[in-house]
Amino acid sequence: MRRFRIGAVLAVLTMVALLALPAAPAAAQTPKSGGSLNIMLREDLAQGFAIHETSTISTVWPAMPCLSNLVIFDPAKQTESTETIIGELAEKWSWQDNFRNLVFFLRKDVKWHDGKPFTSKDVKATFDMLREAPDAPAKLRINPRKDWYANVEAVEAAEPHTVVFRLKRPQPSLLLMLASGYTPVYAAHVNPAVYRTGCVGTGPFKVKEWRKGEFVDYVKNPDYFVKGRPYLDSLRYVVIKERGTRMAALQSGQLDVSFPGEVTKTAAEQLKKAVPQLVVTPVGQMVNDNIILNTKKPPFDNPKIRLAVSYAINRRALIQAVHQGGAVEGAAMAPKPYGVWGVLGKDLAALPGYGKPEDMKARARKLLAEVGVTPQNPLRVEMSTRAIAIYVDMASFVINELKQVGIEASLKQIETAQWHATATRGEYQIGANLTGLGVDDPDGNFYENYACGSPRNYSQYCSEALMKMVDRQSQELDPKKRLEQVAAVQKKIEEDASRPMLDWRVDYFTYWPYVHGLVPHHNIYNFGRMQDVWRDK
Amino acid sequence: MAAEPASATAHTIAAAPLSKQPGAWTLLGRFCRKKPLGAAGGVVTVLIVLTAVFANQLQTYDPIATEAAQTLAPPGGEHWLGTDHLGRDIYSRIVHGARVSLIVGVASTLLGSVLGGIIGLLSGYAGGKTDLITQRVMDILQGLPLLVLALVVSAALGPSIQNVILAISVPIIPRAARVIRSSVLSIREMQYVEAARALGLKHARIAFRHILPNTVGPFIVLCTAQLGSAILVEAALSFLGLGVPEPYPSWGRMLSVSAAEYAQKAPHLVIFPGLAISLAVFGSNLLGDALRDTLDPRLRGA
Amino acid sequence: MKTYLVERLGIGAVTLLGMSIVIFALLRFAPGDIVDILFSTGGYVRPEERIAIMKELGIDKPYTAQYLEWMGQLLRGDLGKSYNYGSPAWDVIRPKIPVTLELAVLATIVAVLLGVPTGVVSAVRQDTTLDYVLRVLSLAGLSMPSFWLGMVIILGMVTWLGWIPSITYVSPTENFRMHVLQFALPALAVGYRSSALITRITRSALLEVLREDYIRTAWAKGQTERAVVWSHALKNAMLPVITVIGIEFAFLIGGLIVTERVFNLPGVANYLVEAILARDYPIVQNLVMFIAIVVILSNLAVDLLYGFLDPRVRYGG
Repeated sequence: MRRFRIGAVLAVLTMVALLALPAAPAAAQTPKSGGSLNIMLREDLAQGFAIHETSTISTVWPAMPCLSNLVIFDPAKQTESTETIIGELAEKWSWQDNFRNLVFFLRKDVKWHDGKPFTSKDVKATFDMLREAPDAPAKLRINPRKDWYANVEAVEAAEPHTVVFRLKRPQPSLLLMLASGYTPVYAAHVNPAVYRTGCVGTGPFKVKEWRKGEFVDYVKNPDYFVKGRPYLDSLRYVVIKERGTRMAALQSGQLDVSFPGEVTKTAAEQLKKAVPQLVVTPVGQMVNDNIILNTKKPPFDNPKIRLAVSYAINRRALIQAVHQGGAVEGAAMAPKPYGVWGVLGKDLAALPGYGKPEDMKARARKLLAEVGVTPQNPLRVEMSTRAIAIYVDMASFVINELKQVGIEASLKQIETAQWHATATRGEYQIGANLTGLGVDDPDGNFYENYACGSPRNYSQYCSEALMKMVDRQSQELDPKKRLEQVAAVQKKIEEDASRPMLDWRVDYFTYWPYVHGLVPHHNIYNFGRMQDVWRDK
Repeated sequence: MAAEPASATAHTIAAAPLSKQPGAWTLLGRFCRKKPLGAAGGVVTVLIVLTAVFANQLQTYDPIATEAAQTLAPPGGEHWLGTDHLGRDIYSRIVHGARVSLIVGVASTLLGSVLGGIIGLLSGYAGGKTDLITQRVMDILQGLPLLVLALVVSAALGPSIQNVILAISVPIIPRAARVIRSSVLSIREMQYVEAARALGLKHARIAFRHILPNTVGPFIVLCTAQLGSAILVEAALSFLGLGVPEPYPSWGRMLSVSAAEYAQKAPHLVIFPGLAISLAVFGSNLLGDALRDTLDPRLRGA
Repeated sequence: MKTYLVERLGIGAVTLLGMSIVIFALLRFAPGDIVDILFSTGGYVRPEERIAIMKELGIDKPYTAQYLEWMGQLLRGDLGKSYNYGSPAWDVIRPKIPVTLELAVLATIVAVLLGVPTGVVSAVRQDTTLDYVLRVLSLAGLSMPSFWLGMVIILGMVTWLGWIPSITYVSPTENFRMHVLQFALPALAVGYRSSALITRITRSALLEVLREDYIRTAWAKGQTERAVVWSHALKNAMLPVITVIGIEFAFLIGGLIVTERVFNLPGVANYLVEAILARDYPIVQNLVMFIAIVVILSNLAVDLLYGFLDPRVRYGG
């Protein structure tokens, strides 16, 4: 009897032990090599792989696997900041002379896809070209981020694996701008025009074929300077122009990974319902919707009327109506947790347009009454927007809001071909706009969008006081002080109401569960390198 | 039975009707009995026209008012046909869309047909070199499929309702010219025209008083035939993003981006506007067919 | 016959010339040009850079010079360079042509296979319920927007079958079965529409012929319905039908544009819209000319076939 009982207990214990084993950590899986992925593209590459000549995710996302930066935001970390910057082409770097000089020590084992060795000459050529130095070896046809390097005095490449950026004044932000997906290094021996049709880079993948309008095929770079990477053998970026077709492809598994910024909240719910095992990660896009007001023409040259517009728009309702809740409120910088500089909570509620909707609208009406605008005598304006569904939806909502405070706006749709030209020339009164930021950094944002004379300052807003504040924070080395100064800048921007912020968009980045190692960031432009991505099916 | 006075003047002969016309209601009744399908088409068309005219009375909600709480509501209940992704009532948008589709369709058809008709009339009547050159020019405009030409013109002019009307009317002009011209050519040789000319009547008079009334039949047929195409082209242009812009609700645009994106969750976004377009075109086609059979048997099956 | 051919080709050439001027002018009318597009992908505008780019693309020259340059290139067989891609336009267009061509041919086959028998049945059983039903069905085909039909098909597939054909183009050599599946649905969508017209023409042409004297003679002689219809009537009714098939083939492109877009097929029709939106003039101009040539040649082919088949019609000497 006893023997039997002991045997039974042993058997049970063994079974329990066996059953308990699989509960051991499944989290730390070993990456497998091999395989391919089909990745979504919403339109064909604009200007091919020439990241430096475009400002669109449609180029950055498919071109990133081919190229490398000096430094980059750690692909594994969702929130980007100075602390998450790691080296790519640079092994080590250091600020010297109180953030006046930035020294990079470059890797010595890097080769371009055509076999030539990578040296500091490539870095100097790239950045001299970007800052349009008088002795730059080449010239970009279009240079959207010239202003990022306005503070760079010189780029020195005295030794083959050392580069020094000499700045005119301290600017800690420069390092973050270099870590953006928008800042790869071009080859000095390749004409920049070549990047419009092909790509000679140092990245984990080599371009195999770009069939215009259809797809881009990549193959693994066997000489990649990070040993053991990339894991995947090949990538294919597939162009699908119709939104419904894109979603259907993702849902049916013909696409493995979505496009950054593509999947809305409603679409994500639809996808999850149809295919529960899809991995959906809500992340901030670092893209915001805003209203541009032409400050150089009536009626919006009057700050009271501008402020009234900002008060009239119920941000929360807009987020619900236009994005079905797939966006968040915020001022000029992205709010936490998506960015590190954003104004939140009580401070946000104190800004125009973020309080209680009825109160806000009442204040708008009061402001308008002071300039003689009443429901009997409404202000008639024309609202311009790009002829694309999402902008039109946004504009339609705003028009509805404005109607309730006495501003009658008619909608004018402008074709994509003309939008930027029209906006830059100031041929509009009020417009619905979208702004993407390559990096969550006050310098990048403020100088591009609010500085006097900047081509992207569509409102043509110019405030000496504001620029003083912006210049001050740019040189501020104490992080806490800087945070306060940036908050003050954001407050002033909303009070001057030249470009009322509407919302910050959220992306519901989606991929199939057999895709690993792809961590979407709170910035659509910076996580497309693909070197740590692998699949297990 | 008209008694013809012995000393009739040219004017009287030229103006005398050839036979007594039956009353309008009799004609209508005859039409309904002989061509039930056409009558049905006529009813559908009239219903759509009425919907367009009385859109403001028929709507249950403001078609451009967004309602954040009610996005993508299914049909039934308060919103008869559901709501779209911005919470706008689909039934009201379809009702107003009828207005847009009809305005664009009718305006562009009339514009194109009248212009083309005049060109065809003059070209056919004048004959000779003028005719030859005009025909070649019409060939140029006709050498491209409807949508392609409308696409290019629409892109050239930019998105606005007037431009869309213009863009769709352009491809209609040569087709109208051709139909009217062939009708003119056949009438031109007829006896009473020759008689009128022998009596010394001026060309303009002959053209407008005699030939023109007899092209009315083919003209009506042409218009109803082109109306269906015009509505379809407007829908396609709006679908591609080059058609009627916001805020006018357009059936075609209701079917573009947003509908495709939310199609699975809310199929009613796709189904109803498409049904509306199909119904409108179907009705006008049925009517047009029946009219053609009745008014101009020579063109049957063409 | 030869003089007729030469005359027609001559007229065709003149028409093409006129069309080239119309297209060239229309495109230049369009607000915004390629430089605006380039700037919009750059996200800003800088006047100095604009001048440099215009020079590089050759669009700073006066319009007449540009037009003559285009014509010169065309006559040499050079399709110029795409403004958008910078690569030769032919390289961009070439891989897309077989896709559209295949879809057009398949759609026409579907249209004929659907349309002709339906038209015959409808004519033979004229004014019966079957006739009415078939006529309504075919008219419905003409009334539906073809892109809507495509969308509904895809929606249906996804909802009920949980499956859609390949979204990315699969060539017949890669995977024949997937290729066939991929083209079957769009061919059906476009073909259904074309079949409607063919049904109508077949029906009315057959009706006309069935009324003719020699048919009545055959009836009187006691031949079976089948023999009468098939051996006598159909042969003579075929003429207008073939005409319509030929014309429909050329004019399919309208339906192809939207259908290719909905089914994501990389054909020239789909690309035409892109090129127009991107103000890529060399591509648009040449594609439109290409379409015009196809239309003119199909019209000519149809007329010649007509002459060949109908002994009553002969051209010239």
